[in-house]
Amino acid sequence: MIVIAEKINATRSAVREIIEQRDEGRLEDLAQRQVAAGAAYIDVNVGTGNGTRQDEIESMQWAVSRLLDATDKPLCIDSADAAVLEAGLAAMGGRPAMINSTKADVKYLSTVMPLAQRYEAPVVALAMDGQGIPGTVEGRLNACRAIAGACRDYQVPLASVFFDPLVLPVATDAGQGKVTLNTLAAIKAEFPEARTVMGLSNISFGLPGRPMLNAAFLQMAIYAGLDAAIMDPLNADMMQAARTGDALMGKDRHFRKYSRALRRQ
Amino acid sequence: MNEQEIIEKIAFNVIQGRVTEEDEGYDEGLEGQPAVAELVQMVIEQRIDAKKVVVNALTGSMETVGDKFDKGEYLIPDMLASAECVGAAMDLLGPHLADAGVQSKGKFVLATVAGDLHDIGKNIVGIMLKGAGFDVLDLGNDVSSERIVAQVKDTGARYLGLSALLTTTMREMGAIIKTLDEEGMRSQVQVLIGGAPTSQSFADEIGADAYCRDAFHAIDILKQMAG
Ligand code: B1M
Repeated sequence: MIVIAEKINATRSAVREIIEQRDEGRLEDLAQRQVAAGAAYIDVNVGTGNGTRQDEIESMQWAVSRLLDATDKPLCIDSADAAVLEAGLAAMGGRPAMINSTKADVKYLSTVMPLAQRYEAPVVALAMDGQGIPGTVEGRLNACRAIAGACRDYQVPLASVFFDPLVLPVATDAGQGKVTLNTLAAIKAEFPEARTVMGLSNISFGLPGRPMLNAAFLQMAIYAGLDAAIMDPLNADMMQAARTGDALMGKDRHFRKYSRALRRQ
Repeated sequence: MNEQEIIEKIAFNVIQGRVTEEDEGYDEGLEGQPAVAELVQMVIEQRIDAKKVVVNALTGSMETVGDKFDKGEYLIPDMLASAECVGAAMDLLGPHLADAGVQSKGKFVLATVAGDLHDIGKNIVGIMLKGAGFDVLDLGNDVSSERIVAQVKDTGARYLGLSALLTTTMREMGAIIKTLDEEGMRSQVQVLIGGAPTSQSFADEIGADAYCRDAFHAIDILKQMAG
């Protein structure tokens, strides 16, 4: 499982504080703890929601420059605004980064795909369009097809794409778990070179016993073809759920990662 | 790297269970360092004596692996990873253990007995015997008594080597000797046995012709038998 560590996200109040106060000590600590726990990428989302675009650009530049000193791991530059993405990528100074994200909407594709091409960066591509999140597998697959078309136009190899089948809460529609899982499998069948990613915790929104729901869903998703997850690596149970799923799918030769993690406890 | 270092590194990587450079080991962070395949390649390039590698790097390190398994430190997949290392090393070393151009010293049927999957020791014995000039027919592991006896009959082999690593499967060896007896074939073939739980007294008990501590011991005994 490729773990994209989600904690540096300014929608969390603790991180909003870090960003607003330019508290580099706490920012670096948060990155380093996530790396130590097994993160492959550190997601960076500095959108506090109460500033201008220029504020977000400056916050991104500051966070990226601090994180480059704090860790060797690649960053995952996360914003809904292509100008912020570009500022973050430029601040990487040639070090590898991931882009989070685009969707099947011309406005996004025409601004984000050129960045993916120019920076040779892997890109998270949401299976949705300008209208929102399709409720069916076919609808989400169509969004992926549109994105794959844009990849051709902008010369971004499909191998650089992480399709996100999207997760909606099962509390409001119990069928949504299967829509996501079947979309994963359909993406894998139609675009075998591409990889898949998702954020998990949305699945259990509004229900009790969320950790168990999240872990079970993660393992089902691994079976359906999930390659990467945007998740909290500091959550040891979820990390072991991921290792367990990978091991059962034969993706962890000789159970190295699985048993090493248990040994450390 | 000198000879000593290479041999120590091979032993270390057998214990870590790393066949090639990109493999993970039992311990974290070894990816990218040369592993058994790359190190054995160095052995071949530097013309280091392949027998030394078998004795000093492969056999002893599997004992260490067995000890770790005993203590509960290693799990079955860890043992398997180490077993793969020895297999990979023997595949590469095999041709270099052979004496070129030696005339066949006779047909030798070799097998790990029914119910037993341990084949590392047997494979080493097979390769060393080939190297010593025997015409070895290796039947593999978990081989039924019927098949072993039938193969001895069909090939007219003068020697039969049996391997067992489990106290539960070593009894098969006695059964095979009994069948050879019943089929009237016992005098045609010399039966040599080996494997950790076996011993001279066990060989005597089941009526085997010889007990072999290891592959080199087997070769010595065969020399005496050829007289
Ligand atoms: C001429 O004919 C001849 C001549 C000489 C011959 C000869 C034939 N055969 C051997 N020789 C002699 O020459 C060889 C070269 O010098 C020597 O061969 P050896 O085979 O002795 O030596 C090899 C070079 C190195 N030694 C080995 O390769 C064996 C190492 C140990 C660690 C071992 C291994 C690697 C494995 N194992 Co297993 N395994 C263990 C072993 C522990 C140990 N300390 O021996 C032992 C044998 N295993 C054991 C067990 C219990 C098991 N194993 C099992 C499985 C495995 C693996 C598959 C994981 C793996 C084997 C992989 C493979 N491809 O062979 C299971 C059984 C599977 C089966 N049905 O066979 C399982 C039941 C485990 C389980 N719970 O599932 C134990 C047996 C206990 C007993 N009382 O019988 C064990 C002693 C480990 C332990 N300490 O508990 C000599 O004996």
